[in-house]
Amino acid sequence: MNLKSLLLAGGALLSGSAAWAGGYQVTLAGIKNNGMGGVGVGLSLDQAAMFYNPGALAMVKERGVQIGANLTLARNAFVAEGGNQQRQLRNTVTTPFSLYAGFGPSEGKFRAGIAVYTPFGSKLQYADGWEGRTSLTDIDLKSIFVQPTVSYAITDQLSVGAGLVVLAYGAVNLQRDVPLPDSYGHIELDGKAETKMGFNAGIFFKPSDKLSVGINYRSKIDAQVKDGDVTFSGIPASFSSRFQATRFSATLPLVATTSIGIGIMPNEKLTIGLDANLAQWSKYRVLRFDFDQQINGSTSSESKRFYQDALTFRLGGQYKLTEGLTVRAGGVYDETPVKDGYVTPETPDNDRLSGTLGASYAFGKFSVDLSGQFVSIKKRTETQADLLNNGTTDRIAGTYKTNIVIPGIGLNYAF
Amino acid sequence: MNTYLFRKVTPLVALLGLGLTACQPDIEDDFRADKGSADFSRYIAVGNSLTAGFSDGGLYLEGQQNSYPSILAQQFSLAGGGEFNQPLFTEAQSNGSGYLRLTGFTAAGTPTTANVTTNLAVRSATPLLYTRYDGRVDNLGVPGIRLSDIQTPGYGSTQGNPYFERITSTSTPTQSYFQRVKAEAATATFFSNWLGNNDVLGYATAGGAANIITNVDTFRLKNNRIINVLTASGAKGVVATIPDVTNVPFFTTVGPTFRATLAAASVPGIVVQTGSAFGGPTSTNRKQVATTDIRDASGSGRQLFTLLSSPFLGLLNQRTGRAWRYVYAQSGQPAAGFSLFLTAYGIDTTATFGTSAGNPIPSLFVLDDVEQGLVRTATTSFNSSIVAKANEKGLAVFDANAFFSRVATSGIVTNGVNNTAAFIAGNLFSLDGVHPTPRGYAVVANEMIRAINAKYSAKVPTVNANDYRGVRFPQ
Repeated sequence: MNLKSLLLAGGALLSGSAAWAGGYQVTLAGIKNNGMGGVGVGLSLDQAAMFYNPGALAMVKERGVQIGANLTLARNAFVAEGGNQQRQLRNTVTTPFSLYAGFGPSEGKFRAGIAVYTPFGSKLQYADGWEGRTSLTDIDLKSIFVQPTVSYAITDQLSVGAGLVVLAYGAVNLQRDVPLPDSYGHIELDGKAETKMGFNAGIFFKPSDKLSVGINYRSKIDAQVKDGDVTFSGIPASFSSRFQATRFSATLPLVATTSIGIGIMPNEKLTIGLDANLAQWSKYRVLRFDFDQQINGSTSSESKRFYQDALTFRLGGQYKLTEGLTVRAGGVYDETPVKDGYVTPETPDNDRLSGTLGASYAFGKFSVDLSGQFVSIKKRTETQADLLNNGTTDRIAGTYKTNIVIPGIGLNYAF
Repeated sequence: MNTYLFRKVTPLVALLGLGLTACQPDIEDDFRADKGSADFSRYIAVGNSLTAGFSDGGLYLEGQQNSYPSILAQQFSLAGGGEFNQPLFTEAQSNGSGYLRLTGFTAAGTPTTANVTTNLAVRSATPLLYTRYDGRVDNLGVPGIRLSDIQTPGYGSTQGNPYFERITSTSTPTQSYFQRVKAEAATATFFSNWLGNNDVLGYATAGGAANIITNVDTFRLKNNRIINVLTASGAKGVVATIPDVTNVPFFTTVGPTFRATLAAASVPGIVVQTGSAFGGPTSTNRKQVATTDIRDASGSGRQLFTLLSSPFLGLLNQRTGRAWRYVYAQSGQPAAGFSLFLTAYGIDTTATFGTSAGNPIPSLFVLDDVEQGLVRTATTSFNSSIVAKANEKGLAVFDANAFFSRVATSGIVTNGVNNTAAFIAGNLFSLDGVHPTPRGYAVVANEMIRAINAKYSAKVPTVNANDYRGVRFPQ
């Protein structure tokens, strides 16, 4: 396979496949993986195995340090039901990043490492005065996970690994407009998540030079905000007695994911990966906020989510063109966890198709990885009738369409 | 090395820029406005206060600007609609006829209102006349007009309806509303017609004590005539049915509170006057009403109390004639006739108010079950005349009756915001308890657009009703 045919293959996949996973999950943990449609559970490419499958870490030949950063550029269009005016986001950029450091004796069976990555996040700022302003004007969801990891090769063919996943930093900022009889006020909820722990474990099996398989499980972590700040603005004096809350608490499930992956290496230059992930989004039933004092007569608010479990399928490959240069391409099909009539402006979600490209260039112990992803979230319409049927009229009826472009860069140093 | 990197990186950056531009999705084309088989090039609106944009008990500039015909015309302009002129009051006289504004709430939570009396467009107090508007008029909404009035000559004279007078040409002072509509319809391509509310509303808001309900045959005849003239030159249009007026806050706000007050004080029942016939304490115009027969918020009980009764119900059991002085003042008769009036109805203002047959709660304040029955029957037959004629002419129908019944039962959510038929808190009804707020008119316009789109395969966009205010609060 030469470069041209690989690029053509990549081009074909562009109309098809992957980068973010459904909901507010972000699978951008390794720049090499990004270029290959996010596969990695059945591969032992590099230190990012700590994220994709800790079981594979012991099979990664080099020890090393790598950092990666992405720019996610989301572009969205919305037209309210019955309307004809297109609303676009006030464009923002988020920067998911990752850092891995792997250690261990060069010939030993143990590998240890530490990983820092951002598997959940979202930032959307809707147009001023848009039709859904009372559901949401701005959301900024951030999380940083730190994962100390160990991996052990039981035999030359079989290795296992596990990591302690620490939600080291989580922050949520949600804003919306408050409808008043003759004006709008504004409410901002801003809070930090408590430190929580979970685990990430995997098994990696490589029966031959040409085939490897992996399985990985990442546990659920409930991101919990206690004593977040509630700030009102623009509430006229005549209504201020109805908007008393100053503190809120809420819980957002960062759901468990089970993945299986296969790696196929027909020759020394070509690697093909195939992954399937199951994210247990059905744990996300309602988004509930509790307040210290009343807001418009109530000390809590509850909004239905009723997400469903969702599958993601990933396919990607890399080809080592020269000793220094490796090129990659891939595609993803990502099922949405959001059912019809439950779409909210925080996650204007639908099934996603993504195409990815990537390349690495090695200069001795250093190497640079580049990746580019194009994610097309399918157009999604929900009607007022859907909302009435589901009792979800706290959000807005209309049509959403989102595309995301995610360039990424990674730097590696192997020792 | 540097140029090497530069040559490698520049195309990547360019590609990235291209990718970003291409990345912005564009779905606007899916929602292009389209007129379908309708032609909105000249739209005229025929109707009463609802069509004029009447709100808060008056007609004023902001209400006119947010009238449903104005909203419709603005949306029609996206689908080939032309200029639309309303007989607007000027900025300097923007308060028009004057209107009610909210001043606050009592400790008990009852809203207090006051009349706006500055910057009016009153050019004569007796007879009451407003500043004339002599330009082209496409919104022919005339507050107060009944369908039974449309062929009355002189209805637009200085002795007639002052709102019609201000748009009636001084060269044809006796032109009837029907003749005016006929003249305008000759060049119209699209119309809306929402007449007939006052043929039953006046009776209802007077608690059955004044204003007769229009005869059903008269209603049908006049409705047929106006639709015939509107469609004579091939114009298409939308007509609206008449809502059951007993669902509006004017009738549903006071009763529930009054019933709760009576129940708390263990008052088993009250005495009301009904109808307008003369007669004393032992006549049939007195009616005993059990406390449990007053309609509450859940719909149990039958008797409705009007918004106007609110200031007087607190006087229950007191020996006072205050309510009667108010009722008599409404008649516009000389003050000297008050004692004759009391005698004719056998009223003894030294008896306890509302709990004795000698001093009942005036008929003006109560729409009782019998009167409601008459209102409902008339509304039903008026609506069947409206729908039958519209179907005959292939017109779009906005079933305002069905729509407002739904709103009364379950409210309406507009883009995530809850609206109900409740007074003030519901956003849809203005301070007079009958006419919509700008939000209410926007909702009406959207419903009409849906009916038009369905009938004429058009794609006229609706508006975001939340961009229009509910009740204005004191600053």
